[in-house]
Amino acid sequence: MQLTALLQATTNAFERLAVWRDQMNRKHAVATALAVVLGVAFLSPLWGGLTTAFKTGSGFVTTTPLTPPTPGIFTLQPWGEAWATIGPSLGNSLMFTVPAMLLSAVLGSIAAYGLTMVDWRGQVAVMTLFIAAIFLPKQGLLLPLSRFWTAVDLAGLLESIGYFGLPFAHPKHTTIIQLIVTHACFGISICTLLFRGYYLTIDDDILEAARIDGASIFSIYRNIILPLSYPMFMVVFIFQFTQIYNEFLYALILVGGSNPDTGAPVTLALAELNSGFSQNWNGQMAGAFVTAIPTLIVYLLFGEQFAKGVEY
Amino acid sequence: MANLRFDDVTKTFQDGTETVLAVDELNMAIDDGDFLVIVGPSGCGKTTTLRMVAGLETITDGEIYLDGNPMSGKKPQDRNIAMVFQSYALYPHMTVRENMRFGLEQSTDLPDEEIGERVENIGEMLGIPELLDRKPGDLSGGQQQRVALGRAIIRDPEVFLLDEPLSNLDAKLRAEMRTELQRLQTELDTTTIYVTHDQTEAMTMGDRIAILNDGELQQIGTPLECYYEPENQFVAGFIGEPSMNFVQCRRDGETLHADSFDYLLSADTAAHLGSTSEVTMGIRPEDIEVVPDATEPNDIPVEVDVVEPFGKENNLYLIPEARESDETIIAIVEGRTRVGAGDHAAMRIPEEHVHLFDGDSGEALRNAIVDEADLSPVVERSADT
Repeated sequence: MQLTALLQATTNAFERLAVWRDQMNRKHAVATALAVVLGVAFLSPLWGGLTTAFKTGSGFVTTTPLTPPTPGIFTLQPWGEAWATIGPSLGNSLMFTVPAMLLSAVLGSIAAYGLTMVDWRGQVAVMTLFIAAIFLPKQGLLLPLSRFWTAVDLAGLLESIGYFGLPFAHPKHTTIIQLIVTHACFGISICTLLFRGYYLTIDDDILEAARIDGASIFSIYRNIILPLSYPMFMVVFIFQFTQIYNEFLYALILVGGSNPDTGAPVTLALAELNSGFSQNWNGQMAGAFVTAIPTLIVYLLFGEQFAKGVEY
Repeated sequence: MANLRFDDVTKTFQDGTETVLAVDELNMAIDDGDFLVIVGPSGCGKTTTLRMVAGLETITDGEIYLDGNPMSGKKPQDRNIAMVFQSYALYPHMTVRENMRFGLEQSTDLPDEEIGERVENIGEMLGIPELLDRKPGDLSGGQQQRVALGRAIIRDPEVFLLDEPLSNLDAKLRAEMRTELQRLQTELDTTTIYVTHDQTEAMTMGDRIAILNDGELQQIGTPLECYYEPENQFVAGFIGEPSMNFVQCRRDGETLHADSFDYLLSADTAAHLGSTSEVTMGIRPEDIEVVPDATEPNDIPVEVDVVEPFGKENNLYLIPEARESDETIIAIVEGRTRVGAGDHAAMRIPEEHVHLFDGDSGEALRNAIVDEADLSPVVERSADT
């Protein structure tokens, strides 16, 4: 009697196991199919762009974008062309992107510390202002921005402190500094929000322990919070680098043209590559890839931390 | 070394428009080198009290004096106290060595070599010299606990504040650390306030314990005073495991009428009650005798409802049989007693062990009699110790 019951129970268990396995297999199959479809959808434009960049003009016209370049239509000429237009601007881009990224991240982190971990009256109101700033539409800021930099005579200011007498000085640095300040300012609000979210997860006890240990507010930031912020800095760096490097509108307003000697960044140079009467697709594609290289490097450098998420 | 005095210390929190009273006119004093345990249920204000001493919480009213000097207005770092947090609050990015050094670097001008030397010494003292270069994340709970202690000890403070330091450890480690903490405190002879909700820690560790409930001090005294002479029903019920049995009674002369039984008091005992008519009778489980049959006047026939065997003793849940009632009395009998659920027996409540509390205020009217002469000595002591 008992033996039959046991047998029955075992059979039932096996049956359930088989059903479960089937379900798992089905789920697995669906997931794989989805991954493949989405992967193809995402990668095909990239692939098409890459093949086009290695084809001659006529090669592009006679083949579909997804066909790889055959020896007859293979050429490196678009890359040379793209580099000639974009290369000189690459330095300009990095010259303001990196300082603006560092500035906005550091200032955002300090602001978030002051707004999250130090108690004072009215901090909620200030935080609300920061958050509101994130949602200001860019287009609405263009006019005040250009008026602001007209009112602030930065070139005259630099002249008066004797900056242009320095050996490395260049007239375009005026524009570069304008871009640094502009991007750093507009970046602070989002950086503050990102750091704030992270600081809220840090155990208050650690700060109190540090206070009892005798650390001042600034010393707590430098010795405890800043080192603990390392993973969040990586995230903010990637985010800000991409934002600032890829930015087009502010640069267009502040620089005006695509001349690298006036401080034009790559985004303006790439746009220059797109203008003209005939569309040289291969040159544009090569230009897009050249432009993307610094962002790719940043992702490679900090990406592991980015994907891992933030944990102290 | 220092003594601490709490003078009418009050703390209120503002919760929206509501004012919440966390600590209510607390008065107590802690002698130099004393180990005081503050114990109470969660939300009783014990941690708030500790944080006010640390300077992490402001005092709403009253004052705390350290060696006669008022503490309010002083920043935590100027109070010469050290605190161990429940979460340990170690700096996760620093090694154990750096964690311990940090306080000395921030608050003193000691030369590097001296700080280094102190860290080594404390490491030896706590038995963690091999862990000094590891990060907190690589340590077990017990090891982190030691580091947190080390970080407090190294500063050689006037007062140690410990906020439920053992609550995150498993039972075995907790018992070990309990002993070790006591040893350390005796060795360092530093005034210590230890907050816990665990009455075992309170009973075993402190020179004295302060029992808090709803922000009010219920009693402060040695563990045995609190156990044998509780000042009110709350203390009587909070200290002791399993808790003291309480039976609501209506008093009629020398007789106590409970729902499930009557109990006849002697004239001497009844005299303690004055004119009180509503009385709560308290009796500790270990003081109840369980006998086979009701043979004496105050014996109460009972049915054994549940038996919890612990090996060295059994907890019996007894239901008095005479009248219909849901009253249950817990009694402890010797472990090698043969008893089972459903057995019929009788419980005997010796009058000398009966506590009587005012039924309304909970105030103790009469406590069990502990006669010094009845204490059986394990070691003969001379009269002066």
